[in-house]
Amino acid sequence: MEKIGRFFCATGFLVSLLALVTFRAIGQSSVSVEASVSETTIYTGERVNLSIKISGDFNNVSRPQLPDFKGLRLLSNTPSTARSYSFVNGHSSTSYTYTYSLIAQDKGSYKIPPISVNIDGDEHKTDPISIKIIDRNESANSSGSQKPDIFLKLEVSDKKPVTGQQIISNVVLYFKDGLEVNSYQPVPGWKAEGFWKEELKNADRPQATSTIINGVRYRRARLLQFALFPTKKGNLEISPYKIIVAVRSARSSNDPFGSFFGGLGNNQRQVQLETDPVKVDVQPLPPNHAGEYLGAVGNYNISRDVSPQDAKVGQSIEIKTSVQGVGNVSLVTKPDYELPKGLEVYEPQESSDLNRHDHQISGTKTFTDVVIARSPGSYVLPEKKISYFNPSKHKYVTTTLPPLHFNVKASPNAIAATNTSSSFPVQPITGLATWITPTTTTLFAHWWLWVGIALPLIVLGIAYWQKSYAEKMSTDKAFARAQKASEKAHERLDEAIKLSEEGNIKQAYNMLQKALTGFISDRLTLPEAGLSNQKYVEALEQHDIEKNLVKNVRMLLDKCASISYAPNTSHDYLKSHVGLAESTLDKLKKVL
Amino acid sequence: MARQSPQAIFDNANDKLDAGNYQQAISLYKKLELQHTLSGALFLNLGICYQRVDSLGKAKYYFLKASHFEETQQQANQALNYVEGQFSRQSAVLPKLPWDIATDWLRNNIGATNILIIGIILLNLGILIYILRWFVDWYPKYLKIGGLVVTGIAILIMCTSFYTRYISNRYCNAVMVTQKVAVVEKPQKDSSLVSQAFEGYTFTIDNYKSRNHPGWSYVRMSNGLYGWIPNDQIMIL
Repeated sequence: MEKIGRFFCATGFLVSLLALVTFRAIGQSSVSVEASVSETTIYTGERVNLSIKISGDFNNVSRPQLPDFKGLRLLSNTPSTARSYSFVNGHSSTSYTYTYSLIAQDKGSYKIPPISVNIDGDEHKTDPISIKIIDRNESANSSGSQKPDIFLKLEVSDKKPVTGQQIISNVVLYFKDGLEVNSYQPVPGWKAEGFWKEELKNADRPQATSTIINGVRYRRARLLQFALFPTKKGNLEISPYKIIVAVRSARSSNDPFGSFFGGLGNNQRQVQLETDPVKVDVQPLPPNHAGEYLGAVGNYNISRDVSPQDAKVGQSIEIKTSVQGVGNVSLVTKPDYELPKGLEVYEPQESSDLNRHDHQISGTKTFTDVVIARSPGSYVLPEKKISYFNPSKHKYVTTTLPPLHFNVKASPNAIAATNTSSSFPVQPITGLATWITPTTTTLFAHWWLWVGIALPLIVLGIAYWQKSYAEKMSTDKAFARAQKASEKAHERLDEAIKLSEEGNIKQAYNMLQKALTGFISDRLTLPEAGLSNQKYVEALEQHDIEKNLVKNVRMLLDKCASISYAPNTSHDYLKSHVGLAESTLDKLKKVL
Repeated sequence: MARQSPQAIFDNANDKLDAGNYQQAISLYKKLELQHTLSGALFLNLGICYQRVDSLGKAKYYFLKASHFEETQQQANQALNYVEGQFSRQSAVLPKLPWDIATDWLRNNIGATNILIIGIILLNLGILIYILRWFVDWYPKYLKIGGLVVTGIAILIMCTSFYTRYISNRYCNAVMVTQKVAVVEKPQKDSSLVSQAFEGYTFTIDNYKSRNHPGWSYVRMSNGLYGWIPNDQIMIL
């Protein structure tokens, strides 16, 4: 009876425990299955441990179903198991670890296929694991260059990236068995010129794994990890990274799979290690013909929204553009939007949220355009095409952002505020206005300009001529005689008629003669007196005067000389001679 | 449809302005401006509209235009004083050279045409005085000197008139009407930065230098710096 009682007690305890676990499992059923090997690079004939770790909240778990291993042989179907259980803050967690021993048989690169585990009726699979098996004899023969016992190496994920592409750089420490690294301290001042760099944060402590380099087994531990983004094209060099490590030569434990940080002991020394410079050939980005390129390189989701969609006049409206993904998040620039008219635009805001975990830089960059509508209506922000470069596809990916609509209603308060609160000192002019239509003409197009310049010049010319004439008349006697000859001759002819009318015919003829001889002498600059009539006629002939004119002059002069001997000469007779003399003088005036 | 008179459009726009429909009022005022039917009241009211919608750069531009009209000069200057105080960024102002001050005064207060008229009248007067000494005996020496001096002054004034017009044609003022823009060394978007310009900044534009670069203006900033600015960021007076 006692045995039966104990059995029921134990069964009851187990049932209640199972019920509790089941209850928890219903609430949370997160389970992870991970596979790992103790070595990824091993010699032929060497043993390697394969561990399958099942952790989380679960009830029933089956033993892992092992696949066929290529290049490896399973030593025993019975694994060694380890189990742990924890109950923290109301959350239970169970962990099962199955460890199998395998032996490397054939050289080559192999993959341990996914391993299935049935947990609470669900099948879970591990990720495949790559493993490399090296022939021990060949490896020993080919070990040409000897590596030092401990060295540092900078390993980059891509040596031919494009501008802006994220490349992961691991600072990896290699050291031989027999050495034990106690601590490490990076030397500050590392510069990666030509790159924008971000240090990645990994929660795990560095773990050492075993590897073989040139036939020599080393332990390998990744100490630090950086994300580098080339900012320009061309051949760039990542400068050496320096670290000071505290290393001890005598190992206190033969366990090669433990933490590489050993305890303090004898023979400890500090060594400064530095990586070799790494050359990276940065390729330029191909030309982009799709949408507006924001400088984003990576894998992104781009979206935008407007808030609020129903606003009032004077209320601020935010147009938020979000670029979320993996890549050069911080270097992404704001897209330019064609904002509708009637909006007041304020200084845009931008913010970045970077995630440095998960062995890469990811995050979200948000741009916020703040606008205020000053008049009511429906506003549309047109569709926008935006592109980023995806290095894994090696092409631009274009995202079309759909048009955004928002409505703005009139706000009586806003209008009242603008009308009353402002101390603006001027009121609009609402009455009659004077209107002008401006015309622009060049100065040279004004007619009065040319008249104003030409007129004084013409007046100046005329005045100068007048002035010169007057001066010559007063200084040049011959010129003055010639200029006055015609006038004087006509005066004398008038005098002759007057004398004739008074009955002094002879004196009248004398005056007629004086008129003729005076005109000829004044014009030809001859002496005023003392010349015979014949001299005057000859003088005219010398100047090639028309014969008829000379004949008339001779006839008139002869008539004047012979009139004393003609007793019955009448006034009319003289008048006819005066008329002839006038016409002759007019003709002579033109030729002399 | 019969074309509305400028005053009718203006009255309609004023009604919209009173009702607080600033955008509609602006559209109507701008219609008049495009028809080249202008008045000081039109520019003053346009400036007030833009001031009400907080577009202070454009408000300043139209108040400056209104200040060139005698009937609105006083109100426009008051409005300008107010608007200048509202800009978030104030630019340093390098004092003008005396020669530039004199030229500006002649341009704005007399005008090249009026200066030319004065010059021509003096030219005629000077030549008449010079001629007079040939025909009268009154102080011929003084008449000669007086005539030559007046003629010389007349020619100088006429040259000033042409220079004033040349300056008017070559340089003009502009107001920055957008929030912020880069003034660059060359008329290219990716050229080196000279300075940042903000809403309300005024510039002097060199039209002769700018004419070979469509879409760009070569400007002198009020602090004496020179550079290029896109035309869509400014309004030219």
